[in-house]
Amino acid sequence: MNDQLRAISELDRVIHEPGRLMITALLAAVKECDFRYLLHETEMNKGNLSGHLSRLEEAGYIEIEKTYRGKVPQTVLRLTKAGRAVFDEYRKGLKSAF
Amino acid sequence: MKDDLQDFMERPKQYENIDGTSEMGMGVMMLSFALVGFLSAILPEGALWRKNGISTFLFLPVVMTPILVFQYWGVKAIKKHITWPRTGYVAFHRSGRSWWKILGVTLAVSAVFGAGTVFVMMLARRFHALNLERAGYLAVLLATYAFFVFRWSREHTWKWLVVIFMALGLLAIALVVPGSIVESFRYVALFVGLVWLGSGVATLFSYVRRTQPPFPETA
Repeated sequence: MNDQLRAISELDRVIHEPGRLMITALLAAVKECDFRYLLHETEMNKGNLSGHLSRLEEAGYIEIEKTYRGKVPQTVLRLTKAGRAVFDEYRKGLKSAF
Repeated sequence: MKDDLQDFMERPKQYENIDGTSEMGMGVMMLSFALVGFLSAILPEGALWRKNGISTFLFLPVVMTPILVFQYWGVKAIKKHITWPRTGYVAFHRSGRSWWKILGVTLAVSAVFGAGTVFVMMLARRFHALNLERAGYLAVLLATYAFFVFRWSREHTWKWLVVIFMALGLLAIALVVPGSIVESFRYVALFVGLVWLGSGVATLFSYVRRTQPPFPETA
């Protein structure tokens, strides 16, 4: 297997899915954000977004914190150290593959 | 692919001004400078606070207070009551490295600006065209707004009309208002401040019209 093919095959499958890639890329650019912001930026529906967030949380790439802003419930999301490292690796892999 | 991903990662930065708060902040700053200019003009000749240096020091609170009040309470209130409930909350990294980066960029921009000013002044002296200095600093003010629109507010195409309006307004001030750069600065600051502020308020209204009122969040 040549280096280019190896780089493609080694891309992280959890992040590689387009919806999760959008979420991870946005979270990598900020310290934290809430569920509503991701809904606005990704233009996904709530169900899809929730599904992707659960998958990323299971993989240990993001932290989900349920909190309140005043009396309004708020879901705050941030990338974990592992998530950030995997995302950086993913970008390097993508660059070397193409 | 990397560039597309990098572009996508720039979106949170553009989100910072989705409600026009950055423009309003610039507007408040320019209007503060205009206020100081008009205060200086109405104070008696030969007064202590009209002397260069001392006046800058005495009027610093006049400039800084509106800026700090708007940045601390105004922006916070708009974000908290309008932006975050509508399109979500975002917090950015404030690491030491980014502060060094900001400092570096500020120093570089200041150096380029300073060198440009000296160059324009040398040209003006050499060719006895004193208006060149005025044209230079008016061009910088216009370029600042145009760069802001190009970099952070590209989706609002109507802002290019504001750029043209600002250019015409500055040209009119340059032709109509007599006196040195210092004397005309208060009019320039007033005009530019009002344009920035108006642009920010229009952005806020456009944002409120485009987005839905708050709804209960479920994740």
